[in-house]
Amino acid sequence: MMNPCSRTAQAAEDAVRPVRGYSNHNHERHQMSGITTSVNASAHESREYRNRKRMQGFREDVTSFWFLLPILAVFVVLFLVPLIQTLYFSFTDFNGYSMNLHWQGLSNYRKVFSDPSTLEGLGFTILYAIVVMIGVTLLAIPLAVVVNHKFFGHNFVRSVFFFFSVPSLAIMGMVWKYIFSPMKSGVVNSVLSVFGIAPIPWLSNSGLAKFCVIFIAIWAQIGWHATLYLAFLQSIPADLYEQATVDGASPFQQFMHITVPQLMPGIVTSTFLLMSGGLKVYDLPFTMTKGGPGYSTYTVTQSIIQQGIGQSQYGVGSALAVLFFLATAVVVMLQLWFSNVISARFE
Amino acid sequence: MNKATSSNNVHVDSTQKTNRLTLSRRKSIISGVTSVVMIAIALICAIPLWYIIINTFKTIPDMASHPLALPEHWTFANYTNAFTTRSLWNTLIVTVFGVLIEVIVGALAAYGMILRKSTFTAVIGTILMVAFVVPAQSTLIPLYRMEAQAGLVNTLTGLVIIYLGGSVFCYFLIVGYMRSLPFELIEAARIDGAGALRIFWNIVMPLIRPILITVVVFQTMSTWNDFMNANVFLSSSNLRTIVLQVYNAVGQFSTDWPSFMTITVLSLLPVFVFFIFCQKWIVSGLVAGSVKG
Repeated sequence: MMNPCSRTAQAAEDAVRPVRGYSNHNHERHQMSGITTSVNASAHESREYRNRKRMQGFREDVTSFWFLLPILAVFVVLFLVPLIQTLYFSFTDFNGYSMNLHWQGLSNYRKVFSDPSTLEGLGFTILYAIVVMIGVTLLAIPLAVVVNHKFFGHNFVRSVFFFFSVPSLAIMGMVWKYIFSPMKSGVVNSVLSVFGIAPIPWLSNSGLAKFCVIFIAIWAQIGWHATLYLAFLQSIPADLYEQATVDGASPFQQFMHITVPQLMPGIVTSTFLLMSGGLKVYDLPFTMTKGGPGYSTYTVTQSIIQQGIGQSQYGVGSALAVLFFLATAVVVMLQLWFSNVISARFE
Repeated sequence: MNKATSSNNVHVDSTQKTNRLTLSRRKSIISGVTSVVMIAIALICAIPLWYIIINTFKTIPDMASHPLALPEHWTFANYTNAFTTRSLWNTLIVTVFGVLIEVIVGALAAYGMILRKSTFTAVIGTILMVAFVVPAQSTLIPLYRMEAQAGLVNTLTGLVIIYLGGSVFCYFLIVGYMRSLPFELIEAARIDGAGALRIFWNIVMPLIRPILITVVVFQTMSTWNDFMNANVFLSSSNLRTIVLQVYNAVGQFSTDWPSFMTITVLSLLPVFVFFIFCQKWIVSGLVAGSVKG
């Protein structure tokens, strides 16, 4: 986000020339520092001048503080305090009512790892996040490439796919639950019965339920990510393709050696969104299957809510929440590192 | 090298002139096949949407016997029933206030960040980065307790307060865009004697309109569609948001599917309209944000 190097340079410059201190233009900064050294050397370095510029710097700090105050309030109330509380509760036997807490050490964490339903939820959450990420990426890029070409109805196709991303996954889960319904009204089964296939218990078989949830998550998100890729595709210079065609590269070679490398920033953004969203998944499995059958489509979030708020086991719920935060942080770090490595390779 | 290839190109062109017609014909055939295949795929994927929309105009027996066909008798009763629920208004209130405050808080913070670079702003930048990574699930339990103590659980105000956490996301999208603005404009206004708040409102806000639209659309979508927070923080039936209403409709009248579908369509409609209206802005804002942020 912020380059520490430029920040120190900026700070040094602020100390010398407050009036231009907030300029964020690099080349100007170098010119200015040339001038300021001469100013430094001259008799301008009076105490009064220094006081004035310090005052001005202080005043600017205060102004910027007022603008940052609302978000600081949001941070303290909605992030800092709750996080500290979560951390604290995770070491106690807090039940939500009596403040008569007992220090439990790591026993809540041990409970998390010995609880079969939580472990199953963890397993499904990871499976969901990875499969959805790969599935959406593999389908959205070709879709974006095809839709990027002009053909009759390409705007129609683009809009149709885009619309899937609009509805809430919670609502989609409920509608699909009905479509997959094992009763006569279930569309999938009634279509299958036309071909003489016996009704399939889509959502009551644990393997099929997992498949259905993941399938719908991919279906619902392809359009949105294809639109994202489309935006990046349109910024690839066309002459790259022209030159490649002249040099005799086949369409597939062009895709592999021009499109994919040029799309790297888009792929990084898209997979990042999919991965962090996938780990937080709750709506879709909950509204489709309530985590069932058994715990086969149980998720970490559902487990946190169930234990922490539903069953008032604040300690165990909080321990799970802390672990979840750490896991998310690790994934984000890995992804940032990975994207840096990849973009360094392709540049 | 460039020159060589382009002259080569001309040469190849002139020798292959005889093949040109077949080449362009082949192109048009490919484009025809693409459109047939793609339109077919799009239509197959759209069946569930068709299914939802068409069934809102049917009665229950009609729907049960022909789920995918056109209705035998068009009925609008489902819609008139759905409009009488309060949930549409609840969602509207929560979304408008939540998104408005979030975006303003985020934009103010972004302006405060670019106004001055100091150790203070650097620290805040890092802090907000951490907040950006924190998943909502990790703070859910203490937040629920906090709101319960303040008497905010099961109120729309309480829900709006929870949504304000989204202002960190707004901040990140806006600050990337704001850094790309020519700073001279702000400086010039300052020399002309405009105060910081006035510069923010009259100069910076109009300049960042593209990213503001992107952020508003994003946040409206996620707030309108939010299920987790609404489900945890609201319990009385007259405060339900529309997603909750749909969710409860499943249990409440599990046989009355057309009503369920109608509330579903109602819950989707505003977002659809919003999206068609703003599609252009969202994509351009996204690219701008990711390139500069």
